Amino acid sequence: MLRERKHFVDEFSEKIKLAQNELHNKSQNWEELSQKIEQSKTSWLLAGISSALDIRISLPDRPVNYTAISSDGSQIFPDRHEVLPCYLINISSVVLNYGENGSANLSSDPVLFFKDEDRFVIWEGKKIPANSNIISHKRTLMEFERLLHLASENSDRENIISISDGTLILWSLEGSPSDFKNAILEPFLNIMDEFKNRRVPIVGYISYPGSTDVVNALRLGLCPEKVSYCNQCPYTDLPELPCSPIEGLTDRNLFSSLLKEGEMSSVFRSSSKILESYGDHHIYFFYLNIGQEIARVEIPKWVAEDPDILKLVHTLVYDQAKKGKGYPVAISESHEQAVVRGKDRNFFFDLVKESMVKADFNVSISRKGISKRVPGV
Amino acid sequence: MEHIGEVIESSTKGFIAQSPKIGKSPSFGTFVKTDSTPEVYGLVYEIITQSSEPGRKPTAYDMSIDELKREQPQIFELLKTEFHVLIMAHAQSKEIKFTLSPLPPPIHSFIYECTDKEKRELSEQDFFLRAIMSSSNVPVDDLIISSLCNADKIRKNDDEYLVRMGKSLSRCFKDDYERLSSILRRIL
Repeated sequence: MLRERKHFVDEFSEKIKLAQNELHNKSQNWEELSQKIEQSKTSWLLAGISSALDIRISLPDRPVNYTAISSDGSQIFPDRHEVLPCYLINISSVVLNYGENGSANLSSDPVLFFKDEDRFVIWEGKKIPANSNIISHKRTLMEFERLLHLASENSDRENIISISDGTLILWSLEGSPSDFKNAILEPFLNIMDEFKNRRVPIVGYISYPGSTDVVNALRLGLCPEKVSYCNQCPYTDLPELPCSPIEGLTDRNLFSSLLKEGEMSSVFRSSSKILESYGDHHIYFFYLNIGQEIARVEIPKWVAEDPDILKLVHTLVYDQAKKGKGYPVAISESHEQAVVRGKDRNFFFDLVKESMVKADFNVSISRKGISKRVPGV
Repeated sequence: MEHIGEVIESSTKGFIAQSPKIGKSPSFGTFVKTDSTPEVYGLVYEIITQSSEPGRKPTAYDMSIDELKREQPQIFELLKTEFHVLIMAHAQSKEIKFTLSPLPPPIHSFIYECTDKEKRELSEQDFFLRAIMSSSNVPVDDLIISSLCNADKIRKNDDEYLVRMGKSLSRCFKDDYERLSSILRRIL
């Protein structure tokens, strides 16, 4: 087993070296690769390129005063074995003011959903009970609504940044029916509009990213075809495809050997399909060495195109991660405020039951529900 | 007058109160009272500042308090200061009765520092010293010293008072000369 592991590690470091060489080689003629990316059709996501790939941008100075806002959500899903088919979404608010008048506001607001319009959605004319997927999307939207609310409440502050946990690319909506997709996407894009109008950068922070967009772009570069069409690959009879030597690497592997602490990579354009609906808010990303790891930072187009705001995002995201010992403190505090744990869930349904009993309702829960609560021996 | 704490845990012999601000607690040995009915009087004997969330623990940041306020402001929202009070008397018909209250102060009662008049009344006799000595889980000797010093302060260093309390202590400690001597040397 250890022999195999050693072989794997050796092979992996060879791949990284090869990918690094490719990164430098393709950087000299990046326009050519960029054109090939635009013309090709692959089965993988490709990073859009608008500058050399091996750029390293050093950490700008941090402004003394700044404000970080963040929001996270957690939920109690409806359970048909419980007394009522209701659910709860808890949304946190975190505002951290740094500098001369340092202060912090941490809170959360739980919302109970029990009405028919909350419990059911109508997709393509069919009435469907709100399941975990629907509730999760609703929660995501509520988080962004809260972020916007916090941004408007703190509009008088200088150097404000809004940090969200995870991606800004709502790719999981891709397979959803169009009416549901629009019900989430439209308000989300309106929120993005508001952030743009207010010139408050909104950032999606991904710790330990597994994405391969840049590596995929390099794989495309390895393909001898002038324009590649993976579904018509002429090399399938070869023992190894020309694009295979760096397969299995992530962008994190690639950039961890390139970027020094505090440095960020070039800005890349995501090619996720859902972004076709984002219009003016197409999502771009860069990688940032925060010391303990490489993070992926996602930003909307207008942030990517504004050098001053981009500089601010670079330094503030790094500062947030340093303050949080490797993970942005605003995000980790918003998680702590929002989190609903197992015992909270039991307490919630006990409260619902108790309120119903007080109001003289006949309360019944399934035998499965009872058995879960009072397991016999 | 602003309250200096709020009862968050209450029992017959004592209660725990939370300070409205981090690190702002009445000092050790302070005479305090509740706003409940009846008013309950006691002495602060323990002050704790810790994480307000179970499962989270403060860690070192290698920064001064001013730097922390500028660069890690959230930590001050995640800490709490609590103080423990030993009950020694309660109000009855507008007088102070030196026995435990029939009922502990209700949760969320506010705590105030006693007025000089109340401090004087509470410390006039040696009952407060006896209440301290008969308690377990309190730092008896240091609480005697601090409360006695506080009582002496409002009397503007009244020697006669100190001698009277010294005599009481000598009766209480009986033949434990070493302990009595240690306490008296630390008061004077």
